[in-house]
Amino acid sequence: MAAVTVDSLLQNPTILLRPKSKVLLKPSRSLDCSRNRKTLRSRSSCFCSFKPRRTSHVVRASSSETALVDSFDTSSSDDVLYKETFPVERIEKVEGKIFIRLDQSKNQQDWQLTVGCSLPAKWILHWGVSYVGDSGSEWDQPPKNMRPPGSIPIRDYAIDTPLKKPSKGDMFHEVKIDFNPSSEIAAIHFVLKDDETGAWYQHRGRDFKVPLVDYLEDDGNTVGAKRGFGVWSGALQQFSNVLHKAEASPAGSPNNNNESKDSKNKNRPLEGFYEEQSIVKELSVGNLVNVAVRKSPETEKLVLYLETDIPGDVVVHWGVCRDDAKRWEIPAAPYPPETTLFKNKALRTLLQPKATGDRSGALFTLNEEVFGFVFVLKLDDNTWLKFKENDFYVPLSGASSVPGQHGQSDSTSEEISSKSYTDGIINEIRNLVSGLSAEKSQKTKTKEAQESILQEIEQLAAEAYSIFRSSIATYPEEDVLETDTSTTEPAVKISSGTGTGFEILCQGFNWESHKSGRWYMELKEKASEISSLGFTVIWLPPPTESVSPEGYMPKDLYNLNSRYGTIDELKELVKSLHEVGLKVLGDVVLNHRCAHFKNQNGIWNIFGGRLNWDDRAVVCDDPHFQGRGNKSSGDSFHAAPNIDHSQEFVRNDIKEWLGWLRHEIGYDGWRLDFVRGFWGGYVKDYLDASEPYFAVGEYWDSLSYTYGEMDHNQDAHRQRIIDWINATNGTAGAFDVTTKGILHSALERCEYWRLSDQKGKPPGVVGWWPSRAVTFIENHDTGSTQGHWRFPGGKEMQGYAYILTHPGTPAVFYDHISSHYRSEIAALISIRNRNQIHCRSTIKIVKAERDVYAAIMDEKVAMKIGPGYYEPPSGPQRWSVALEGKDYKVWEAS
Amino acid sequence: MEVSVMSSSQAKICKTELGLRDLRSCFGRNNDQNKIFSRRPNTVSFDSQISRLRKAGLRFTVKAVDSEPILEAKSSTSSKSLDRSRLFVGLPLDVVSDGTTFNHARAISAGLKALKLLGVEGVELPVWWGVVENEEMGKYNWSGYLAVAEMVQKAGLKLHVSLCFHASSEPKIQLPKWVMKIAESQSSIFFTDRSGQHYQGCLSLAVDNLAVLDGKTPIQVYQDFCESFKAEFSPFIGSTIKGISMGLGPDGELRYPSHHKPARSGTIAGVGEFQCYDTNMLNLLKQHAEANGNPLWGLGGPHDAPTYDQPPISNNFFKDHGGSWESSYGNFFLSWYSSQLVSHGNRLLSLASSIFGDSKVDVYGKVPLMHSWYKTRAHPSELTAGFYNTASRDGYEAVAEMFARNSCKIILPGMDLSDEQQPHNSLSSPESLLAQIQTTCNKHEVEIAGQNLASGAPGGLEQIKKNMLGENPIDLFTYQRMGAHFFSPEHFPWFTEFVRSLNQPELHPDDLPSEEVQAIESVQTSSDPNIHLQTA
Repeated sequence: MAAVTVDSLLQNPTILLRPKSKVLLKPSRSLDCSRNRKTLRSRSSCFCSFKPRRTSHVVRASSSETALVDSFDTSSSDDVLYKETFPVERIEKVEGKIFIRLDQSKNQQDWQLTVGCSLPAKWILHWGVSYVGDSGSEWDQPPKNMRPPGSIPIRDYAIDTPLKKPSKGDMFHEVKIDFNPSSEIAAIHFVLKDDETGAWYQHRGRDFKVPLVDYLEDDGNTVGAKRGFGVWSGALQQFSNVLHKAEASPAGSPNNNNESKDSKNKNRPLEGFYEEQSIVKELSVGNLVNVAVRKSPETEKLVLYLETDIPGDVVVHWGVCRDDAKRWEIPAAPYPPETTLFKNKALRTLLQPKATGDRSGALFTLNEEVFGFVFVLKLDDNTWLKFKENDFYVPLSGASSVPGQHGQSDSTSEEISSKSYTDGIINEIRNLVSGLSAEKSQKTKTKEAQESILQEIEQLAAEAYSIFRSSIATYPEEDVLETDTSTTEPAVKISSGTGTGFEILCQGFNWESHKSGRWYMELKEKASEISSLGFTVIWLPPPTESVSPEGYMPKDLYNLNSRYGTIDELKELVKSLHEVGLKVLGDVVLNHRCAHFKNQNGIWNIFGGRLNWDDRAVVCDDPHFQGRGNKSSGDSFHAAPNIDHSQEFVRNDIKEWLGWLRHEIGYDGWRLDFVRGFWGGYVKDYLDASEPYFAVGEYWDSLSYTYGEMDHNQDAHRQRIIDWINATNGTAGAFDVTTKGILHSALERCEYWRLSDQKGKPPGVVGWWPSRAVTFIENHDTGSTQGHWRFPGGKEMQGYAYILTHPGTPAVFYDHISSHYRSEIAALISIRNRNQIHCRSTIKIVKAERDVYAAIMDEKVAMKIGPGYYEPPSGPQRWSVALEGKDYKVWEAS
Repeated sequence: MEVSVMSSSQAKICKTELGLRDLRSCFGRNNDQNKIFSRRPNTVSFDSQISRLRKAGLRFTVKAVDSEPILEAKSSTSSKSLDRSRLFVGLPLDVVSDGTTFNHARAISAGLKALKLLGVEGVELPVWWGVVENEEMGKYNWSGYLAVAEMVQKAGLKLHVSLCFHASSEPKIQLPKWVMKIAESQSSIFFTDRSGQHYQGCLSLAVDNLAVLDGKTPIQVYQDFCESFKAEFSPFIGSTIKGISMGLGPDGELRYPSHHKPARSGTIAGVGEFQCYDTNMLNLLKQHAEANGNPLWGLGGPHDAPTYDQPPISNNFFKDHGGSWESSYGNFFLSWYSSQLVSHGNRLLSLASSIFGDSKVDVYGKVPLMHSWYKTRAHPSELTAGFYNTASRDGYEAVAEMFARNSCKIILPGMDLSDEQQPHNSLSSPESLLAQIQTTCNKHEVEIAGQNLASGAPGGLEQIKKNMLGENPIDLFTYQRMGAHFFSPEHFPWFTEFVRSLNQPELHPDDLPSEEVQAIESVQTSSDPNIHLQTA
């Protein structure tokens, strides 16, 4: 398989469309029309696939294996001590063209706009028109007769029309729009969208604009306007040749430029034109590195043959090691040709192209006592290729002891790479540092050196962090904030404060949900739907018997028959939710509990049921309930007896109850009601005992206002929430009430400057402790039919555009996903998931002005809310619009 | 005049080896000298000189380097250390927890590399009495700590060792087992409060010279410990190990354990309690009272002091006006109580400086920042902790004088605290207290090193920076403390930014109140532009 060259891979549309699939093993048709395409390998985005190649692939690749062995040696394959194919994955940038042609159609009456693209993809033209007299840059729906077949209207201003290949053999996709120039249409606007990747392609950061009327103002994004045909030259001519070829196909042939040139001569106000825009698409390209080792019968030495199909100059940066520590050493000569010594640390060998020209390789002769062969690859654009972010490693001593075992290192390399992960990084740093010291006299340091050191520092810190968190000292650690409940993936640590860090919550009920009496069953129907929207966690209503139907006045904690359904229905629901991959939070009310009986004074403070506490379980500082416990450790909730959590028997009973809920019902975690009412330290106690997957507390108190106007600085408010999280030792997150409050003011009053604090960070809890902030805009209390503190009407999507793109763990209210916002919310969630925005993602606020707020997350997602103007800067990333709605817009970097 | 100005303000610049990966900023402790100059009639020419030099930073550098030999000659006897602004990071408290085991070795190894690249000077290593000499008296196990020292040396970092003769609650590290065993029958070796509660975090200072430990006095035991340390670590001392902190009491600090539990964040700390109720303290008090002709005063501590968590107003002793602290009894008691603490500090520091004095290390002792209630007249938190510092009396004079006498330097924790972050109405003022101690120490020429109390507190790093670069620049700062949180995405980026900003302080002119500091900075920035690249 590896015999297929990259160039030809790229030309094969099938492969380009599914870069991840292994069809690249198929020999491709050799199509040769890519002279306009350049492959650009990005400097920093190369990485290796994490999956070691399975044997099956090797089998499928048998043709190339043969080729390898052939080129390696003709002697019998028994001599081969070791053979391994390392898959490597690179990001390649492929450049193509978008072409736009305006010309008169055959009947000399109508005109035709053709938009095409030479890169294969599932292209969609997203377009609209503007009419004469329109001001601004708003689009309108084009008249029906302009819409080509297959068009889909998008809201009231745009049309999506797929691009098609004019015929099967063509290498490009195009769409033609016919229109009558006498209509009032002033311009056609469009952008191109790759429907598979969701990437948008724009023109200078804006939509393409084809003016049909002369006097249109040139906003800088017009194409073809009054430019004539001076643009024709060299490369374009070649491209037009391609078009010529395509023209030979029977149906739907595009007009070539000569025709349009003619049409230009005949026309007065409207001029035909043809223009091309270059377009760059990122593709991940799989390549292979084959290594085979055999023992040379004559010299008793090992001969290692390395070959790869990566195009261009490939330098192997290599060394040997003598033990498990994989410390690089320089072996004794002889070295292959084109080998140089690199800073006494490693050898560099330039791979020699094979006779066939599409592969390159080198032969290394090594002494037998060498333990292993380590290498990384350096490509001709200074990109480094590593294996699983580690050095490639070829065990040699093992190979000689077990001769002829192919693919044995599948498991070996896996194990090694995890084991020597840290060492690998440190080696890398050591190389880097020594490299720097060697050059310190030279004043050649560049910004890049600085950047790379910073990156290495970050990597090391991340490494230290993950080991610190997983390593257990003989004594408990001093400042571990997070208790790990899982050790499956070192990269993704689960702690009850954050879950995996990639959680998105759905509040699975509202204030009315109890009314049907069968909410559990209704929700069960929706389980897969909720999961498919991209949620990972769902919060269910309080399950206990309750004096109020909504469940927040619990009575007998062990009686789980409520207005939402029976205990069995609850179990069934939890099971279904688990089946679709959702974690389930139980809403537990620990602050207060309604009594069953009166005491001798006629006060309701004696409990029944399994937890038959008496008035000693009630705090003593609320005179209504005559408790005999200690003073409350928090604020009072006056409607029911507040539980005294300082009593050990109470705590033990609650821990037991939470454990029962975990096991009996299957809850994965908790939403903790009214945690203002008792000390967060007790919550830590409960969470340590019940070991939830995720937990979030409701610490809701008032923001700071001065003369009825909300203060800009809500630090005191968020500090109270942070204090509570701190008291729980970070074992729980908390709803970010601060952010909700600030969003209220910002959106309601058009004061978007509020969304940045004095330090340029988000002003809510999410700005200070993002991993513990559960952001939300509405819940059953603030909204629903209660509306205690409703989010500004009509601006909910701005709120979601904020919380679903920002760090923190966002929570979406049930009412909103069952409203017309549903598809927009789903789109935001999918942007979040696609770009792997998580609770600790970095945020850079780039604008916080009166009428617009904009931020960039992880350098991958940009967003703005507010009516004001913002476009992400064109920098190293190319931004394409991922979603747009009323007063908000979200971009993705491509 | 001109030459000497430059040599004084330049002292550190010459020595900072403006070279590779050295992020520390180059602020010398030049204020003393500058102050002297500014009192002279030619102040004006001095100032103009500075500003002129700032404009031509390069010239300043060149000249300054030229002046180095002069300085060397002048200071060769006065200072054996390389003073400059250096940043250390504390290793986890439990880096060694049972003598031989090096906990989190892989994490620390990666962490050290990161710190080195970042330009941090070194790390602080807490060495616990209860770990090294845990089993029996005189039987030391240094192997775990030696492994740490070796790794630090290999990483090219410096080491500051804190000898901890106290216990830690989190992670739980107790005093040595054999000491705890003795304490079972002899609880009076611990500090005791009015209600008879013992503090098991360190030995009472009253037993310093009593042979309570199997025939040896605690001072002798500490001395043996220090000598064993010196013998074992001799290959490192002076090269890798640049500083040693002598543990002086609870949390290593020179104080009484007047506050048993730390105040919860956001809450107001109480005043604490006097700790003079163990048998030996009471004996000392009794003798002292009798010697003063007031035997009745020697029967116990103040009867009208509040309890741990109470505010000063809740009883009579600390009242702002008419409180007993101002009475002659108050003065009698507080003088005695605080002098006991200073004598204890003197015993330990003279011990340490006699052992380590001939090595090329600096000896430090830690003085707490008892900032609660600083804005009241009585300063109750300081009084209960053993510092007789009130609105009308500088209690740090005696302390600074004692440090000066032993040529030791002071470590002050709490450099991350700002008044702004204190709870409202707490009457606390960490910044004023810090300023007071600094002034007193300057007077006695005692150098101050900094430390923070908590990592990740809002505004903490800004405050540290302010203190490091402020009017009394700190030449050594130990940032506490490495661990999961330290490297977490919530914290580490801030720390990186902090370290980098220390190197580029010109970006924050607000933090630079004094002219001469800016002048020196311009030297740094005008030197090799590559420093930033390589260090950052």
